[in-house]
Amino acid sequence: MTKWLSRRTVKMLAVLLAVLFALNGGLISGGALAQDEPITLTMSAWDVATTPYWQAVIDAYEAQNPNVTVELVDISSAEYQDVMNIRLSGGDETDIITVKDIPGYAAMLTRNQIVPLDEFVEADGLDLSVYSGAEVELTYEGSIYALPFRSDIWILFYNKDIFDAAGVEYPTNDMTWDEFDAVARELTSGSGADKIYGAHFHVWRSCVQLATVQDGQNTIIADDYSFMAPMYNMVTGMQKDGIVMDYGELRAGNIHYSGPFINGQVGMLPMGSWFIGRLVADQAEGIFDFDWGVASFPVPEGVEPGTTAGTLTSLAINDRSKNKDAAWDFIKFYAGEEGAKVLAETGNLPALRTPEVLEIFASLEGVPAEATEALQTTTVRLELPMHPQVGEVEQILNEEHELIMTQSVSVEDGLEETTSRISDVLE
Amino acid sequence: MGTMKLTLKAASPSKRRRQLSKNLVAYSFILPNLLGFAIFTLVPIAFSLGLSFMHWDGANEISWAGLDNFKALRDDDTFNIALKNTLWYVGGTVPLTMACSLGLAVLLNQPIRGRNFFRTVYFFPYVASLVAVAVVWNMLFFPSAGPVNELLRTLGVDNPPRWSASVDWAMPTVVMASVWRGMGYYMVIYLAALQGIPQILYESASIEGANAWQKFRHITVPLLTPATFFISIMLTISSFKVFDLILVMTNGGPGRATNVLVLHTYNTAFRQFKFGYSSSIAMVLFALVMIITVIQFYMEKRWVEYSQV
Amino acid sequence: MDTQLTQTSLSKSATRAASSGFRRGTITKVLTYVLLIALAALMLLPFIWMASASLKLDKDVFRFPIEWIPQDPQWENYRTIWTRIPFMTFVMNSLKLTVIITFLQVATSSFAAYAFAKLDFRGRDLLFLAYLGSIAIPWQVYMIPQFILMRELDLVDKHMSLILLQAFTAFGVFLLRQFFISVPNEILDAARIDGLSEYGIYFRIMLPLSKPALATLTIFSAVFVWNDFMGPLIYLHSESLKTIQLGLRMFIQQYSTDYALIMAASLVSLVPVVVLFLAFQRFFVEGIGTTGIKG
Repeated sequence: MTKWLSRRTVKMLAVLLAVLFALNGGLISGGALAQDEPITLTMSAWDVATTPYWQAVIDAYEAQNPNVTVELVDISSAEYQDVMNIRLSGGDETDIITVKDIPGYAAMLTRNQIVPLDEFVEADGLDLSVYSGAEVELTYEGSIYALPFRSDIWILFYNKDIFDAAGVEYPTNDMTWDEFDAVARELTSGSGADKIYGAHFHVWRSCVQLATVQDGQNTIIADDYSFMAPMYNMVTGMQKDGIVMDYGELRAGNIHYSGPFINGQVGMLPMGSWFIGRLVADQAEGIFDFDWGVASFPVPEGVEPGTTAGTLTSLAINDRSKNKDAAWDFIKFYAGEEGAKVLAETGNLPALRTPEVLEIFASLEGVPAEATEALQTTTVRLELPMHPQVGEVEQILNEEHELIMTQSVSVEDGLEETTSRISDVLE
Repeated sequence: MGTMKLTLKAASPSKRRRQLSKNLVAYSFILPNLLGFAIFTLVPIAFSLGLSFMHWDGANEISWAGLDNFKALRDDDTFNIALKNTLWYVGGTVPLTMACSLGLAVLLNQPIRGRNFFRTVYFFPYVASLVAVAVVWNMLFFPSAGPVNELLRTLGVDNPPRWSASVDWAMPTVVMASVWRGMGYYMVIYLAALQGIPQILYESASIEGANAWQKFRHITVPLLTPATFFISIMLTISSFKVFDLILVMTNGGPGRATNVLVLHTYNTAFRQFKFGYSSSIAMVLFALVMIITVIQFYMEKRWVEYSQV
Repeated sequence: MDTQLTQTSLSKSATRAASSGFRRGTITKVLTYVLLIALAALMLLPFIWMASASLKLDKDVFRFPIEWIPQDPQWENYRTIWTRIPFMTFVMNSLKLTVIITFLQVATSSFAAYAFAKLDFRGRDLLFLAYLGSIAIPWQVYMIPQFILMRELDLVDKHMSLILLQAFTAFGVFLLRQFFISVPNEILDAARIDGLSEYGIYFRIMLPLSKPALATLTIFSAVFVWNDFMGPLIYLHSESLKTIQLGLRMFIQQYSTDYALIMAASLVSLVPVVVLFLAFQRFFVEGIGTTGIKG
């Protein structure tokens, strides 16, 4: 039996693998193109039907480059990275890959599915410092593999009507987390269906953990997580006292943060700047009618105000692309000044933030006046730093976050377990 | 099968020719399905099973791993947790779903007014969007104000379970949801099988003075055994492979309390990019399921009664 | 379950019982209906929730406690789903795939199942084990090799890829084999003596006798294809080819999800499934048992 296994089966499997991989071995070529030859580029994206900027930037580019056509490959957003991984492993040749988050970036980069852009950057003499630090966060072992075009930062949303009713002053741009806790307690009132919660933490891990790395002493990938204890103690304390909604129920009820905020049930909501667009649109439609404002993300005591965390959306070139030069020309445009303007006009924050671009965004109908100030940043840290094993680490962080927040374990035990599991992974 | 081989050996040339043409006829029946099945399912499966002896990150070179992946399983906490959880889930879901679906089928095979309505309605949870299923189920079991806990409180339970928000109760909550979702599906199979039982058997049993329970026990149950056999195998297999329901209800949480083998397989492949290792987990799952299935097949001869009518 | 059975047994015996037992019979009958209706309510809950959610503003969908009857029903949600995304295209694509795949699946599975159930041939048990074994492997594990295969055949972003992947299933073969196997051999032997070929027996005897089983497989297969999300997600990316389940996902965006529209669209997409189920229902009461054929 074992002999049979070792000879015939292994031989057959070997043949099978060989055949499949011979099939899979796509050609890798750069290929410079003649200037006017018609060319079609493909670009992966998500939510194409409902997100105007994808096509808007493409239209602007095609107007300047009549020989180029860019086709979007639309994949549903929640499953985007998984589908890209399946497709890239299966030999997909889509020219331009949109990088949705850092784990996805790390996964594609460390497995050589996207190409380093350094040579292109050098050849064109591109100055990457215009991305005010984002380019540093995207650099891995001395090379950059993607150009950022969209960047959101964490800020604080608040319901002015609730503040007015409680007679509390609006949050300032230099609020500390201790003040945030105190103000939230002042705002909390009522019970049952009429209860007003002082603040709201969405179920994401980042809602609690981002505040723990603002001081720059630690990052989310660490060898000891006890530094997170104060923030976890604060949030679980607020939860016990009914200042914020219960984590377990938010999770079980699948409750999106927009519901409680738009329904006027919460005073303050720490959230990403992407939420501005949603609030502006809903208010214009008359879905809610209270006054709302934005302030900078609160900071820990002693940390410079304006320090926050952010996310990046960027563009990379597929290693299997047959049109790398043309793809580069396109992503340079997309992440550049002209692409940034289109993004701002459609209500999104571009990664390239010249005063002119920010002005376009702030003057959009419905964006609160405080936005210009609140969106000023001194330091922006990435939600997750670039690291080859960031995907695995993130999964552990999520699991342990859930245990702490459902009070299945104490804050101390949970963080200890986090430390030990993650050090096993990082070795 | 065994007897067939024996006759083949002793057969005369003309008999052998007849057996050959019999084989050809049989193959011609199977071929259309087999062709597509072999190319699009069996070949990819063989590939991924082969991967369990390899290291592959999904992009770069594949390298030989031997039994490394299987050895690594022993020290993988999450794998052990997922294995335990999966067995828990299977042990809870299979018997409960079978009992409930048989009960529903027998009930709805009676001359009851509105029978078609009930049949359709009981099949509904299976076709409902999983999101709606998860939402409604979690709402019924909502810790603070859900109807289930309200009921428990009026019955004098001071601290009712926090269900899917609690490490200890999350798995039972998922099991109940899965029984509720699946029983209508298997009820349909039982219903179809009940139509194959000749009415005359019940009539003659009545004449002989059998009561309803005796008829159920001695006519219905034995004649349903092929369907029961099918359901027990399919249900066991699909319970071992549970994925979607867990994903939308708890995503394996809280913590790893409802993490199951296929979820772990998926995460190791698409979060950690260890495709070889991921395949080795699937191999363990496959081995487990096949052992149980083969045992079921051996036992089949003892308890499944085919066409003895 | 036990109580259900006892109740029905009781109610059955009650019909034959003397007048003293009559009242008890009525009570159990009432209890049976109460049970049936309570169960039905439990089964219908997700649909009632979907219907109620589909008439709300998105912000109110997950508000707790649940407001079952929306105060200000948003009927235009049902108009929006047809205009915001090309929903009609998706419905047509789903219909096309469902009809083709279900037909192929029922046809090829029943053909193969006949051989597995009623014919003796070399390698039968081994082949059947391979079929069964394939069910035991989670699909998530072999979707990459399948994708490689489809890409090489140049079928990515074509309906043909899904048709080829889903038309030949082990599940259908196994299901039908179990039903075919319980058709009495005597009927088949009699037909063979009358000179019918195996093909003739399959068409003229097996298929007509197996309507409940074929109806079952048709329903299961159609529901599977209609509700399938992962397959289309991986293989289809052109808008003109996408299916309903992908369309529903278009209401889930990166930072916001319009659950009200999802639920409205889901309910609309369920209509064909319910129609199909109701249409095929009658086959469940038209089996061997009632057509009077006996072994």
